[in-house]
Amino acid sequence: MGKVIVCRCEDVTLEDLRQAFAAGHRDLESLKRFTGLSTGFCQGKCCAAHAGRFLAELRGGDDMVCDPTRTRPLLHPTPAACFAAIASGEAPDQEDA
Amino acid sequence: MRDRAELVIIGGGVLGLSLAYHLARMGLGDIVVIEQGYLCFGASGRNGGGVRQQWSTEDHIRLARRSVAIYRRLAAETGFNIWFRQGGYLFLSRDAVAAATLERNVKLQNSLGLRTRLLSPAQARRLVDGLDTSGVELCAYNPDDGVLFPWPVVWGLARVATSLGVEINTFCRATAIDVQGGRIVKVVTDRGAVATSRVVNAAGGWSSQVARLAGVELPNRPYRHEILVSEPLKPFLEPMVCDLADGTYFSQTMRGEICGGLSDPLEHSSLNTSSSLRFLSRMSASLLRLLPRLGGVKILRQWAGYYDETPDGNPVLGRTPGVEGFIQLNGFGGHGFMLAPAVGQIMAEWLLRRVREPLVERYGLERFSSGQLQRETLVIG
Amino acid sequence: MSTGRRVTRKPDCPVETGSQVAIEFEGRQLPARAGEPLAAALLAAGVQVFGRSLKYHRPRGPYCLQGHCSGCLMRVDGIPNVRTCQTAVRAGMVVERQRGWPSASFDAFRALDWLSGQGIDHHSMFTSSAATNRLAARFVRRLSGFGELPAGEPRPPAPVERWQRQVVVVGGGAAGLQAARELHRRGVRSTLFERQEVAGGRLLDGSDSAGGDGQGSWARLAELHRQLEGSENLELLPGTTVVAVYPGDRLQVVAVQERRTLVVEAERLLLACGDYEQVRLFEGSDLPGVFAVRAFDRLFYLHGVIPGEPVVLCGDSPRLLRLAGDLVAAGVEVAALVSGATRPPLPAGEGAFPLVPGRLPVRASGGRWIERLEIAPAPSEPADGLFDCGCLVSEYPPAPAYELAHHAGCRVDFDSACGFRVVVDDGGRTSNAAVFAAGHCTGAMSLEQALEAGRRAATGMAESLSGGSGRED
Repeated sequence: MGKVIVCRCEDVTLEDLRQAFAAGHRDLESLKRFTGLSTGFCQGKCCAAHAGRFLAELRGGDDMVCDPTRTRPLLHPTPAACFAAIASGEAPDQEDA
Repeated sequence: MRDRAELVIIGGGVLGLSLAYHLARMGLGDIVVIEQGYLCFGASGRNGGGVRQQWSTEDHIRLARRSVAIYRRLAAETGFNIWFRQGGYLFLSRDAVAAATLERNVKLQNSLGLRTRLLSPAQARRLVDGLDTSGVELCAYNPDDGVLFPWPVVWGLARVATSLGVEINTFCRATAIDVQGGRIVKVVTDRGAVATSRVVNAAGGWSSQVARLAGVELPNRPYRHEILVSEPLKPFLEPMVCDLADGTYFSQTMRGEICGGLSDPLEHSSLNTSSSLRFLSRMSASLLRLLPRLGGVKILRQWAGYYDETPDGNPVLGRTPGVEGFIQLNGFGGHGFMLAPAVGQIMAEWLLRRVREPLVERYGLERFSSGQLQRETLVIG
Repeated sequence: MSTGRRVTRKPDCPVETGSQVAIEFEGRQLPARAGEPLAAALLAAGVQVFGRSLKYHRPRGPYCLQGHCSGCLMRVDGIPNVRTCQTAVRAGMVVERQRGWPSASFDAFRALDWLSGQGIDHHSMFTSSAATNRLAARFVRRLSGFGELPAGEPRPPAPVERWQRQVVVVGGGAAGLQAARELHRRGVRSTLFERQEVAGGRLLDGSDSAGGDGQGSWARLAELHRQLEGSENLELLPGTTVVAVYPGDRLQVVAVQERRTLVVEAERLLLACGDYEQVRLFEGSDLPGVFAVRAFDRLFYLHGVIPGEPVVLCGDSPRLLRLAGDLVAAGVEVAALVSGATRPPLPAGEGAFPLVPGRLPVRASGGRWIERLEIAPAPSEPADGLFDCGCLVSEYPPAPAYELAHHAGCRVDFDSACGFRVVVDDGGRTSNAAVFAAGHCTGAMSLEQALEAGRRAATGMAESLSGGSGRED
């Protein structure tokens, strides 16, 4: 048997997910950290749904998947230069993403 | 979940687990750890992984030195790669006062056996290709400082501790600490109660909240600290670069990402872990200013954790006046990861052997009422 | 099996063809058409391996052609990790692959993949002793990372503009354009950010373009563009990527263009960000030459590129059937249409290609590109069919683009039928009163449903705005 690649950016296989789940990483945040899933260049666009299905199956339903991993900016990798001149003066008590 | 334990640790972060790990290895495995989220939920899973020995006080320098020694062997001890890379830490000072502080610190560090040395801006540029040192007065560099991956440290400590009898309960929240006649008798959680005579508060950003469960007021306050990471590139940056002027720090991880953050003087105390545009823009500006070559490097993600800060920048350790059996292990102000291995070991020895430990006494909660404060000034990266 | 080539596009294709130019690919001159996606040009020129993966050095190639996967990253004009599917061809551009030793085409480290079976546990390898561990870490560091630092002059800070807008629409696909049209009709001014240079999203899909009665997607797109053209109520900004939303008293939307960054304070936000193409997971499904349906659709209909032959298609939708029929009509060799359904609809040109019902793809194999595809009655059963395969079109439910809504604090739930999705009511309202969402970012739906959702969300939003802007004109 060869590999079934779930996360292409980080080369995370289906078997990696199974082993991580067996080792007690049974929520998406924890699974993500343990396997590297969703942490690469695409930030989960190609694997989050697959990983959600994997969890739903093992935990017994879509409701058991709960939230996706906390979504952090940015949506797409963007050069630092694009943000360097936003001289943002707003106070930090402004709500954030 | 066990209903009785020799010791309950609230907080499954690097400090609580380092303590559990060392205690279990010394023979006390009858421990229940209570973690409100998944492992790495709190600051232990949200920091940049910097581990340095360049500090301004003797205590911190000794603790950090000991911690680095432990980190150097931790992967082999736990069977978990932590990817500890000793690429050094480079501090930049931009005025005479900061430069004088660096000089003083380097002298102290050298007297304690560290290889830290002062560098001119030109020497710093040789260390970091493309570093813009305009306005930089003086630099300090220690080649033995480094960066690691925080998550596997936590998993490794947890796995070994578990194998030695420690029970770690994730997604479990402490709801009450039962104190009778000035002594701890029980910890109540949302998944049941554990009878115990000793409770360790290693709850990091939540340590003040946890202390209140036992009717204790801590001076600690959590402050959000934001951080970001870039696309992974081939290795081009060896040391962690820290600018004392605004608290910017960044390094390149083993995976090749630039990972860094900076302090925000406007931040007020909260457990808010949202991400802000203010940080994204300030950090981007800092990166471009210090290393203009990073202008075209793409930012992948930003996130936030917190510093559990105390009034004097030093941790809170040891006994709690008025509550027998309530032990503090918190207030590390964003440096828990750098000091946890040594502090966990020292606290384990102190708890098991009941010997006098000057460090635990110095960092006791009493100091805030007695006024015996010793300030740590290098609160960065 | 042949590698990439060009075929004739449909005459009414809404994307114009540029002039013939040459690009420099690792020292070779390759022909391309100015303005087309670089990835399409490379595929047409027969480039198979675009890069190598992180751990196992598996070959990587584009599969989404939508700018969300990492398969097509290359170094372009000295910039690392550039999405070649989102980069328009310019004469003389210099393109290189980034990983692989001695080259991306032949990478000796691929041996790690073959030797590692089900995978390497990177947590525990090299932990036998502290000394081994330190040595290994140095080696691993050399192997990690994608691409070198950008070359040339450092990129200076981009100019920033701060805008204030009442309504910002993100995404110029079916739902977004229809929402903008509805807002325009109601006299509500809106600003629409579209990542691509040509707005249209799904409406650009060639396999939905059929229908002489004006119901085909290209006809609908032309109609929407006509209705919106010159509208004083719509500020349409193509080539603008929204990268973050920060919630607060006023939402802050950060949009990036090639030469400037926009920080837009918006009173209302309508998210119509669409979805991300996915492929079915099976052994080898990450091989280059495996494409999501809409990726292949764009290659074929909009750019006239066939990345490999014979083509195998896997899926059940009528549009896949139309695609297969159009391929045959264009003279492309189609090996089979494999359908999971036991009774798939009959192909239009019966007998033009084999239709294999009741089977799913279970294993793709090949060295640098897919060469063979095995099929089985179910994923757990042994394979009972094998195709020579020059290119696989793999149909799978796309995953909603829920991220921006999540930035804004909107509720997101999980549905196995698609993935994580933005939760909305009939009027497109999310759990954040200032944020509306419509179309495929809220879950699986048809093109018609997406258009209708866009209209309804715009209606709901217009009604939520004060000052009677909810009126109809």
